[in-house]
Amino acid sequence: MKFVFFHLMPYPYLPDDFDERYASPSLDFPNKHFDPKLGNKLYHRYLDELEYAEKLGFDGIAVNEHHQTAYGLMPSPNIMAAALARRTSRAKVMVLGNAIGIRDHPLRVAEEIAMLDHITDGRVVSGFVRGIGWEYYAHSINPTRSRARFNEAHDLIIKAWTSDEVFEWVSPNYEFRYVNVWPRPLQDPHPPIYIPGAGSTETMRFCAEKRYTYMSVYAPTPVVKRWFDGYRQAANDLGYEPDPEKLGLSIPVYVAETDEQAHAEGRQHIEWLYHKGLKQGLERVMPPGYTSLSSLRGMLSGRGKAPNEYTYEEIIDNGMAVVGSPDTVGERFEALMEELGFGQIIALMGVGDMPHYRTVKSMELFATQVMPALRRRAGEAREIATA
Amino acid sequence: MTDTASALPEGASERLELGGGSIHVQRGGEGPPLLFLHAAGGAGAWYPFLGLLARRFEVIAPDHPGFGGSDDLPEVEAIDDLVYHYLEVLDRLGLDRVSMVGGSLGGWLAAELAVHSPERVERLVLLGAAGIRVPGNMATDIFLMTPDQVVGVLFKHPEAAAGMFPEEPDVDFILATIRDQAGLARYGWAPYLNNPKLERRLHRVAAPTLVLWADDDRVVPIEHGRIYAERIPDATLQIVEDCGHAMYFERPEAFAAAVTEFLEAGS
Repeated sequence: MKFVFFHLMPYPYLPDDFDERYASPSLDFPNKHFDPKLGNKLYHRYLDELEYAEKLGFDGIAVNEHHQTAYGLMPSPNIMAAALARRTSRAKVMVLGNAIGIRDHPLRVAEEIAMLDHITDGRVVSGFVRGIGWEYYAHSINPTRSRARFNEAHDLIIKAWTSDEVFEWVSPNYEFRYVNVWPRPLQDPHPPIYIPGAGSTETMRFCAEKRYTYMSVYAPTPVVKRWFDGYRQAANDLGYEPDPEKLGLSIPVYVAETDEQAHAEGRQHIEWLYHKGLKQGLERVMPPGYTSLSSLRGMLSGRGKAPNEYTYEEIIDNGMAVVGSPDTVGERFEALMEELGFGQIIALMGVGDMPHYRTVKSMELFATQVMPALRRRAGEAREIATA
Repeated sequence: MTDTASALPEGASERLELGGGSIHVQRGGEGPPLLFLHAAGGAGAWYPFLGLLARRFEVIAPDHPGFGGSDDLPEVEAIDDLVYHYLEVLDRLGLDRVSMVGGSLGGWLAAELAVHSPERVERLVLLGAAGIRVPGNMATDIFLMTPDQVVGVLFKHPEAAAGMFPEEPDVDFILATIRDQAGLARYGWAPYLNNPKLERRLHRVAAPTLVLWADDDRVVPIEHGRIYAERIPDATLQIVEDCGHAMYFERPEAFAAAVTEFLEAGS
């Protein structure tokens, strides 16, 4: 069982009229609402939390990429990973991930991750994402080419890391006459790859074929189960049983002394994440062509709700956040592991507008009281499975 | 004209195999041929505006690749591909030289065709045409709007749109709409509904041209129409009152009358 401390680095200081006035914190929520003095403190606070996670025994500390948004302040996740690289020594430094679909120059990602691999002494994990719909507006990248760009950029980066000869790259969306990335990565053949999935069967098959780690995005448990089952099915079709650690459950977590206290304290922050941070219409998340018509048909037939349409109670009941005392949170994760079969928890613990002291308290309770029990249990399950 | 009460000519569907698939073409009416190039919305339907034009012309209305009943043709990924696609469509339909009427996206396409092959265009009508890049006065981003906002910006009187869209759209209707939007995105996401090089090429247009705009176009600003009218050598700008960008859906009679009058003036 692996535990990852993941940060979004949200900007929590939204104006009082945010709900009425703005369609979303992303894309066109004006940056006059970013106070540089407060923002400056936030970066240090969030990096402190990531560093502290390593001290508490998390196996990985993770950052990601978002643009033009109060939802997350990391347009360049590689800069955050670099800031963590030499301040930590044991935990995996995980970039989950670089939005290669919106890069005009994917080789820059190959170069930066390779550099990070050296600076971390081989601890870097490289996630690749397509980039959320609004980022295709922000970067003026045609969403109808998103899937193709992602696939081509991925293939190019992997080849750039593994080829020991200069090569020429020509594909529909990219052309490079001389590919010759210095440095080569330290890990052989390259850093582990993580890919988030949100229901696309193409992605499940892609991850299973390459034996990449497949991670969920925030969604109700039955939906995540369909995704994880799809990945396992794709692996079975290829003739192997995937290691549970190749499946990562991404989930917001808040732990306090008692259940009552956890809900009383955590509620507003979970609500901030879903109701403000993820306030975004379909036109913003899925611009035309971003999602294939067959995937859309599945989504529309399922008629899932938008993240900001779930009440707090529904968020908890649907497994879109885990909140409670250490015992409750442990039991909840045991049940989720039973149901979903993941071997990696990618926990979002600095949730929404949560203040530092609460994040730290929750991290400490999780690391000292929840993680050991879950590790024991996962170890026992593994022994039984191999006996 | 005293026959306004009589039934409008119907359109008939046919398919044309070309390139990597086939396209849907509607044809109706009698008279000189008129190639109609549709906007982002309405592909595949024979709406009253087409029927009104079909009273005096043989209206030929293909669906662009990726829209309506036409396949996604892999070789058509951008506006220049669309130009070559239509040159082939003209060849296949035996249309050496034809009058072209295009709305919005289709207006942009008609202008591109008239720039590329001026000799093939008899007379040209641009209806609220996209295609020109005007810094500071760009076309409105309709991709970022909710469906209600789109209707609000397309029509001067949004209530005129009532009945054009189902109250409770089913999955097939939603997917067809999204597919048309993806078609628009393929050709016009970035640069946004324009070709930066089009304006400087407009002097090549040889056909007499009517630039026809709605007075309340909040999608493609009328400034774009003025540029078209200035740069095209033989062009007139005409404005229809009390109407939004969805002009031939909102005021089909007024637009059909203006188009018909202009095209017939040439014969």
